[in-house]
Amino acid sequence: MFKTKLHQTITVYDVFTKYQDTLDLRLIKAAELTKKKIRSPEVERPGLALAGYLKGHVPARVLLFGRVEIEYLNDLHKNLRSERLQGLLSKKNPFVIIGDGLEAPPELQDMCQQLAIPLMGSTQETMHLFNQLTTILGDEFSPYVSCHGTLVETFGLGLLIQGDSSIGKSEAALGLIERGHRLISDDIVRIKKREGGYLEGYGPELTRHLLEIRGIGIINVAHMYGAVCVSAKQRIDLIVKLEEWDDTHFYDRVGLEEKYYDILGVKVLHHILPVKPGRDVILLLETIILNHRLKGMGYHSAKEFNVKLLETIAKREKERKVLH
Amino acid sequence: MRLTAVAKVRNRLGLHIRPATAIVKMLQGFRSQVYFTVRGQTINAKSIMSLLVLAAQKNAKINIVVEGEDAEIVMEKLLKGFENEFGE
Repeated sequence: MFKTKLHQTITVYDVFTKYQDTLDLRLIKAAELTKKKIRSPEVERPGLALAGYLKGHVPARVLLFGRVEIEYLNDLHKNLRSERLQGLLSKKNPFVIIGDGLEAPPELQDMCQQLAIPLMGSTQETMHLFNQLTTILGDEFSPYVSCHGTLVETFGLGLLIQGDSSIGKSEAALGLIERGHRLISDDIVRIKKREGGYLEGYGPELTRHLLEIRGIGIINVAHMYGAVCVSAKQRIDLIVKLEEWDDTHFYDRVGLEEKYYDILGVKVLHHILPVKPGRDVILLLETIILNHRLKGMGYHSAKEFNVKLLETIAKREKERKVLH
Repeated sequence: MRLTAVAKVRNRLGLHIRPATAIVKMLQGFRSQVYFTVRGQTINAKSIMSLLVLAAQKNAKINIVVEGEDAEIVMEKLLKGFENEFGE
């Protein structure tokens, strides 16, 4: 069901164009900008390395120079400055960035040019820049899988509808949208594992807001039902697999057992919902979600009923003993 | 049975709505699972939207995987389809 696990490779150019406005970036030296690849999501403020301590130094990290680093460099003697920069920088550095709108020392500029390391500047505060860069690179590097299914936000929870082609995933999504829920993606859902150990689903930009309904064709639900019925991404809370009704299969009748599906090491609750004419799939999906919410609030219908049943049996047993 | 092959998109405009529809129509009724992979992205070839997401241009190489009891005939039809540009 979850076939591909893709590893992201991003170039410095991708990061620069995508986050130029967010990070307020400007290019100082654009050497090898389009070719240079980022291989590690780590950002480093090279204080210790500039002081000459290079033990355990990782060259594949993004280097961020703040006020302290730049002032320290400027305080050094010209020769020593070049020497320290030579120790720190190598062709493996993806890019160097200077925060606080500071000027890059000429030696740093020359060395970046020489070693073909893109050099950028930002007017943003260094600490803020550090946090933002860490989050951005963490996001870009987080593993993702692609799966066949439809993701809908229902009562605030992310519901991933799966099942074979033509089982009625898109029709179910359309029904849910009509009832005020939101479409995230139809047909292809990309799932990323986020910091904090949860899964987030989103769709390819090309087919965003589109649904393919057999007999009608491709429709844009954002245009049809308004912007309120779509959303770009959503945390995935549970998976429902739609299946053709099989008389020989024993379906869950009480809901005491819970099954989980493992995606990227995160366990997600998994239901199988048999479909046949006369079963209102949309209502059933809403009920699954509401029941899931109720469980989240500490009330488990099947378990509560079981407790009540056991109590009644125990009471009868006691009465029987008293009578005999 | 599991068969794999590589096909090239010959259609001038790439894999747009018409050829994608032809592929889905062709695969309809066959029991095999069919997957296309382009640029590291694998999709279910029985779904139009998935095929369109590939946005495969002319001369793009498509890795085809067919899995199932009727894989042989499905693969043959697919390769022939790519060859004749899906009737375009």
